[in-house]
Amino acid sequence: MPVPRPKRKFIVLAAAACAAVLAIVLGVTGFGGGGSPGVTYLDGTTNAVVYHVGHRPLAPDFTGTTLTGTPLHFYSYRGKVVVLNFWGSWCTACREEAPTLSVLAEQERPKGVSFLGVDLEDTTANAMAFIKNHDIDYPSVGDPSDTITLSFSSVVPISSTPTTLVIDRTGHIAGAVFGQITYSELTAMIATVSSGGAA
Amino acid sequence: MTDLRPAPEVEEPPAIPASEAEFGVIDWLRWAWRQLTSMRIALILLFLLALGSVPGSMLPQEGGDEAGVIQYYKSHPALAPLLNHLGMFNVFGAPWFAAIYLLLFASLVGCVVPRTFKLAGSARTLPPRAPRNIGRLPHSASYQTALPPSSALAVAARVLGGHGFRLRTSGDGSAWLSAEKGYLREAGNLLFHLSLLGVLVSIALGGLFGYKADKLVVAGNAFSDTQSDLDEFYPGRLVTAADLAPFTIKLDSFSASYITSGPQLGQPAAFNAHVTYSAYPGGPKRTDDIQVNHPLSVDGVKVYLIGHGYAPVFKVTEANGQVVYDGATPFIAAASGNFLSQGVVKVPDASPEQLGFSGVFVPTAVYAGGTLASIFPAADRPVVSLIAYGGNLGMNSGPTQSVYQLDMAGLKQLAAQPHLLAPGQTWTLPGGKGAITFVGYQQWASLTITHDPGQLPALLFGMGALGGLLLSFLVRRRRVFVRVTAPGPDAGLGSGPGPGSAPGSGPGSVVRFGGLARTDASGGFEAEFASLAAELRAAHEQQAPQQETGD
Repeated sequence: MPVPRPKRKFIVLAAAACAAVLAIVLGVTGFGGGGSPGVTYLDGTTNAVVYHVGHRPLAPDFTGTTLTGTPLHFYSYRGKVVVLNFWGSWCTACREEAPTLSVLAEQERPKGVSFLGVDLEDTTANAMAFIKNHDIDYPSVGDPSDTITLSFSSVVPISSTPTTLVIDRTGHIAGAVFGQITYSELTAMIATVSSGGAA
Repeated sequence: MTDLRPAPEVEEPPAIPASEAEFGVIDWLRWAWRQLTSMRIALILLFLLALGSVPGSMLPQEGGDEAGVIQYYKSHPALAPLLNHLGMFNVFGAPWFAAIYLLLFASLVGCVVPRTFKLAGSARTLPPRAPRNIGRLPHSASYQTALPPSSALAVAARVLGGHGFRLRTSGDGSAWLSAEKGYLREAGNLLFHLSLLGVLVSIALGGLFGYKADKLVVAGNAFSDTQSDLDEFYPGRLVTAADLAPFTIKLDSFSASYITSGPQLGQPAAFNAHVTYSAYPGGPKRTDDIQVNHPLSVDGVKVYLIGHGYAPVFKVTEANGQVVYDGATPFIAAASGNFLSQGVVKVPDASPEQLGFSGVFVPTAVYAGGTLASIFPAADRPVVSLIAYGGNLGMNSGPTQSVYQLDMAGLKQLAAQPHLLAPGQTWTLPGGKGAITFVGYQQWASLTITHDPGQLPALLFGMGALGGLLLSFLVRRRRVFVRVTAPGPDAGLGSGPGPGSAPGSGPGSVVRFGGLARTDASGGFEAEFASLAAELRAAHEQQAPQQETGD
């Protein structure tokens, strides 16, 4: 029995069009960060990011009150290298990295590096207990409703706690660790930013 | 048995190659494509889609009702893993659901695209030539008029044109006219199909660019729509952290009222979450009340109130009076039991050792048979019952913990009995481990934040589909034909001039008018045809005397 084939071309075209639609719908998955220019990853991990000079996003300014009740204006840190750590007393990874941060803060202070904490979704009592327990001697700004984090997340993709940013003397974000820091990652970032280097 | 087997082997081989030779891979593909794009398969797929979403609404879903899924696992330990394997707890993300969805999409594309071309063609084509024998049409009429054929035809054209018929005349002087009406039916049909496609595209749009998040917020606290502050975050495939609407919401207070008498005692009467929000950092502050069916709309995002509960406030001090914990701790209500709620308090910075408490909050407490029960969901007589643990909470390393559970591995119970506390009461723990005070309670609200950019287009396309469907049901395609001939014996009317007279030469003409409805599901063409025929005849009769006086 002969099979009529008047629409073969059309069917092939239609099938191709469908395949294209499917490819577009399905294919958009998994293409997250392909690595933008001026951004490199430390140690080949995507959670420690270095922004090169000229590609550094400007850190948003903020004001707040420290856990001990002192008003703090972030702009007053301009001219210094700042390590800005977003943490909470309830956060396991924050507890894990706290000893490292405590040691690093003491070690870097003579070199003119300031450490500053942003305490998220916490009560002052719980946060103060954490600070006392972990010998943290740098100030932290209370951010119980994540408003400071919100202003930063339009600049760097903060998706979880902890997040640590290294900010250069001009107030630009030079490095970011999304998740728990390691001693080597953070010292490497501080060293390059302190020396004014690019990466 | 053994004799039977070789027989088919001998008989079948000649049959199979023969059919394969004719019906190759391309033919199979074309056959599959035809099947897929057939109306029957599209309807089956649509039905399957509806059927597939039934478990999505019957069973708790991972996206929206995590606790429900856990509960289901507990109550159906044998069935739940099987259902989970089939993707029943995440129906709308399951591969089989996606398969139905994508096949339906392909089917509709394959159905609509050819239809578009077909309609575009049929919209341009004129009605067919008038049939030779109009009397054979389902509806027909004929009469004589005093007008000559050309004038009679012109009058018919004017009348039918006035009714919105698309006209076709012979063009070669022979006296016939075809007219067709009801092209809107095809347009409605097309609108329906295109709108269905639009609905699917809108849903896909929501899946790619929308997001959904859950947040539990205690009265007096605020939160921001940023990934780190949300309890659960389900982004669409193309959503990044920076795409979230940068609003901040403060839950000023939460009020719940319950029916206090009658058979519905304890049933909720009203919930109200009073919030203050700003759409962006530093933006103007506005207030709103989020209720069960009244979400907050901010910056294209809807915030729904989906649950509530109690958060007892605890204060934990070390033996030396140093406060190591102070805050409202959300407890989760059991499925039944008038908001008898459970939760844990973790005090990781207590010394000499970390403290953990597992507690029950009872809003209106009574003792029934030696056990604590709640008789009313409002916090009329709140009490907490606590079990104290000391040791290692497991929070200093390892994976993120649930805030509703204690990791018991490194913990030891400090006192044999649970301890009851009323608001303001303090329990001094044995062994100098400190003390815990039940300060009071707050209420919490759980909010679901959804951003679905496909929602409005889906609604509009849905309305378009409905409109298209109505058009295609209500509009008939119908054709009418007119043939005008000079009166003669073949006219069959018996009263014309003598035989042999040429068309147009006589004093009058015979009008034959016929029609058929191409699609007449709703009926009614007969009446329309009759009224058209009457109107045509009237027009011819009205014109006839003028024509005569003009001669």
